Amino acid sequence: MVEKKLQSASQKKMINNIIVHIVLAILAVIWLFPIFWVIMTSFRKEQGSYISTFIPAAFTTKNYERLFTNTTILNFSQMFGNTLFIAICSCILSTFYVLAVSYCLSRIKFKLRKPYMNMAMVLGLFPGFMSMIAVYFILKAMGLTEGSLIKLALILCYSGGAGLGFQIAKGFFDTIPLAIDEAALLDGCTRWQIFSKITLPLSKPIIVYTVLTSFMAPWLDFIFAKVICRANSDQYTIAIGLWKMLEKEYIDSWYTSFAAGAVLISIPIAILFLFMQRYYVDGVSGAVKG
Amino acid sequence: MIKKGAAAFLTGIITTTLVVAGLTGCGKSNMGAEHVRLMVWSPAEDQAKERGEWLQTMCNNFAEEHPEWNITFVYGVADEATATDQVSRDPEASADVFMYANDRITTLVEAKAVAKFGGKYKEIIESTNSPELLNSVKINDGIYGIPFTTNTWYMFYDKRVFSEDDVKSLDKMLEKGKVSFPLVNSWYLPSFYFGNGCTLFGDGTDESKGVDFEGQKAVDVTNYIIDLVANPNFKVDADGSGMAGLRNSSINAVFTGSWLANDIKEILGDNMGVTSLPTYKINGQEKQMYAYAGSKAVGVNSHSKYMEQAVELAVYLSGMDAQREHYRMRNVIPCNTKLLEEKDIASDALVKAQNDTFNNTSILQPFVPAMVNVWVPIENMGKGIRNKSVTHENAKEQTEAMNAAMNSNGIN
Repeated sequence: MVEKKLQSASQKKMINNIIVHIVLAILAVIWLFPIFWVIMTSFRKEQGSYISTFIPAAFTTKNYERLFTNTTILNFSQMFGNTLFIAICSCILSTFYVLAVSYCLSRIKFKLRKPYMNMAMVLGLFPGFMSMIAVYFILKAMGLTEGSLIKLALILCYSGGAGLGFQIAKGFFDTIPLAIDEAALLDGCTRWQIFSKITLPLSKPIIVYTVLTSFMAPWLDFIFAKVICRANSDQYTIAIGLWKMLEKEYIDSWYTSFAAGAVLISIPIAILFLFMQRYYVDGVSGAVKG
Repeated sequence: MIKKGAAAFLTGIITTTLVVAGLTGCGKSNMGAEHVRLMVWSPAEDQAKERGEWLQTMCNNFAEEHPEWNITFVYGVADEATATDQVSRDPEASADVFMYANDRITTLVEAKAVAKFGGKYKEIIESTNSPELLNSVKINDGIYGIPFTTNTWYMFYDKRVFSEDDVKSLDKMLEKGKVSFPLVNSWYLPSFYFGNGCTLFGDGTDESKGVDFEGQKAVDVTNYIIDLVANPNFKVDADGSGMAGLRNSSINAVFTGSWLANDIKEILGDNMGVTSLPTYKINGQEKQMYAYAGSKAVGVNSHSKYMEQAVELAVYLSGMDAQREHYRMRNVIPCNTKLLEEKDIASDALVKAQNDTFNNTSILQPFVPAMVNVWVPIENMGKGIRNKSVTHENAKEQTEAMNAAMNSNGIN
């Protein structure tokens, strides 16, 4: 009797598992399908934007080579370099802003704390591109819309508003007990030392999160880059380049290269994530005992 | 306060620099030629090395012809479609000379961003362009640009499948081979309606007359298109399926413009045929399809500091020699009436097809403001017919609904 019951329980479990796995497999296929499709297209030999078969009839790496060799009309490597530079700079800047603002709001009590948080909340409700024309004219008045100063302008754009996105990091800092700070203060730490030597090492997951998001925003942004770059094609970012490839004059001959470009832009993000994900596991676990 | 002070300080520095720069500029100009800085915008291909750097070559030739000016050219990339937006948004920081597509000319004029040509320049422009073409850059009799090419679509076909006689009639073509048409694109679909007497804003310029896509004439066209889609030899061209079909020979004729001519030439080689639009048969009568047509023009920024030089350059860039080189380097179809008489250009089938279309089988795309309401209802009609939600049974009410939507801005 007992054995039978056990068997039926394990059978039940197995059936459950099978169902769950089938559902997950279907969902995985649905989610991965577009990515797989882009990768397939990037290696497709047939030209044109319309395909009748999912698996390409012939494969080639020419689409990738073309991005870097055929540079007179769309200079992909230059755009890649521009975007990488802008993204790295704004990533460093905005990560610093976010962490600094979050730390202050979490640890320091000052009069404007509450009003600031409310204001940030309200401002955060407006989409950033609403102000893009105003931002453009301000940058123009400062003379930042010509030549390579455009890069600086874009870095300012992407990192300038970072201080408003403190909510998640502040929430995380709030979970680190104040007792640790007090102990450090008693031992003679300054505020900066507490921040850099104690809070930051305990907050690796949130740093990883902040770095990733603040790298991806400029890396993928199209609107600000389009408004600010205007006719300066040597300052174009990848997003503009990829968009150009889909215009009616180019789409037929550039479509497969567009897919190749889409695959390439995911590489820096993937590298950054792989490099940083091990810190996800660390963090607060085991920091505070008793 | 601090910010204000900083701003004043910065402005001070900038002004000083400008004054110094201005002084040095003046100093040099006294020694001989006048110093001129001209910013020129064009599509990227015009500046690409592998396409012969048309813009740079032309600008340098222009500079050589005018030794009285010492011109520094600053080049920027803005294709004809985006230039309108960029220039009208911030004319002061935009190019002195730029190229734009005429369909957005009202935006430019309303933003006071484009200069009107007058005097001897007006005469030059009028003497080298056909009156129909000039209408595409005219607002209230003012000429706001110099056309350098026409912009329209027509038919490319496989000569092995269709004879020169076949391509005159769409119905005949459908008996002999597969034809693909961008039915769900509102730049193409109205051609059938125009053929049967439907009009936009009277002759295209009178906004008060509204859209006339009503009555039996429009319903007949809807019914015709429904039958067309049901024809097994007809394929809807969407997302590049027409080009894909040409590549694997499952389609023998497509409707598109010069921007795909090189790709089609690559596929069909010497078998590529190209011609103006065919006729189609409604109630036993042959009707002509009419494409939308426009032009691409060189415009001069009304905020330009060097107006005289900018206008001269615009005239040069759209002149006969520049158009000839444009055609040679980039296959941009010329429109200069004198140039079109030249033998090697007149004999090019593509040039002939584009100009035949412009002259005979097209209507000037209206640029009255109410035109913005026209696009979406037509596109929805095309989609409805493709998805078979528009049928012979409801064709009448669907056509009426489309006409009503085109005449309304959706607000009142």
